[in-house]
Amino acid sequence: MSDVQTAIGLATTATLIEAVARGSRPALKRLYELESRRLYGIALRIVRRQDVAADVLQEAFIQIWQNAQSYSSERGAGGAWLTGIVRFRALDAVRKHGREVLSDDPGLGDEAQEPDVVDRLAAKAEAGALKRCLGGLDDQQRRCVTLAFVDGFSHVEIAERIAAPLGTVKSWVRRGLIALRSCLES
Amino acid sequence: MIPQDRDELNALAGEYVLGVLEPAERRELEAALATNASLRSAVAFWEEQLHPLSSLAAPAEPPIGLWEKIATQLEAMPQAGVTRWWNRPAPWRWATGGFAAAAAALLLYIALGGSPATPNYVAMLHSPQQQDQTSLIATIGRDGLTVRMIASAAPPPAGRSYELWAIAPGATTPQAIGIMPESGVLRIAALPPDVRLGATLAISVEPPGGSPDQHKPSGPVVFVGAVESL
Repeated sequence: MSDVQTAIGLATTATLIEAVARGSRPALKRLYELESRRLYGIALRIVRRQDVAADVLQEAFIQIWQNAQSYSSERGAGGAWLTGIVRFRALDAVRKHGREVLSDDPGLGDEAQEPDVVDRLAAKAEAGALKRCLGGLDDQQRRCVTLAFVDGFSHVEIAERIAAPLGTVKSWVRRGLIALRSCLES
Repeated sequence: MIPQDRDELNALAGEYVLGVLEPAERRELEAALATNASLRSAVAFWEEQLHPLSSLAAPAEPPIGLWEKIATQLEAMPQAGVTRWWNRPAPWRWATGGFAAAAAALLLYIALGGSPATPNYVAMLHSPQQQDQTSLIATIGRDGLTVRMIASAAPPPAGRSYELWAIAPGATTPQAIGIMPESGVLRIAALPPDVRLGATLAISVEPPGGSPDQHKPSGPVVFVGAVESL
């Protein structure tokens, strides 16, 4: 293994994105090796079709390649930046192609609906504040925020899903965000 | 309308990151990112803070051969990543293409440091030996000159500073422009006359106060780049 390969093998996500910004193809490949399962999972959860999720991931990696220059390590470890790209691509795909009716497949299931969603947040340090603050929201606010972020649901889809009026859902989302921000900043 | 009120702004940014805005609202917000620093920082806040929630989506194995498809598509692209975005007529317009996260990051990159929101000219400075590795980016516009070291660029040796020079088109003598601060961002509101289209910008390694001669670097020139139209 060459020194370059060794260095790439040890690199963090942030370092890899910066190397991609300088035009390193091996760094992009390594980023794919490290992050593709996580990112594909995020896309699949939103679009719920494997072929569409694969297209989303492909588009996302092309954009990562083209736009890595815009990432700055001041913004964090890089994972959130990658997630943002994949989520917006997945949301675009859903708006374009529509979404499969929610299946009973536990692999694609309605996990965000479950009341223990907060408990299932990984016990990572980075999730600590979010976990605490989500726990402080009303149940309905929390459901709305997680259905939107994790499942990529629109206001209308959330309203249908939880059988609540659209205006009420919009208000829950908004109030949930305001409460979250206030808690996260405290 | 993008609200002025801080709570309203933060809630709107949160709705944007959640992905619940209507397409028209989303386009309006993405367009506003170019000029609204509070909005950019609110969006960055939510992206980072909500990110752990994405771990609720179980990782899954992408289809076999997907990387090869990506690699093939990359091969067919006209240019590699590094200089590509400068070639676009207005990079911040990505925001309206539904590529909000990266657009926001790009805008943070060129605009948060106070560089002109609409640069007219840019210069990408690189080591003469490694022309594919940009180390500093200069943006030039109505608001003056902003030079920013990119995060991965090599810092000056201990006890030394980087000094910025400009050589006007056709000139043979460089003009000292300023010392790069430790923050890595140099801003000069009143555009020095030598910094214009066709000029060369250069960085030399100097003692902390800069070269004693305002028209001649005392140390080696380590990065150079030409001022070009965006």
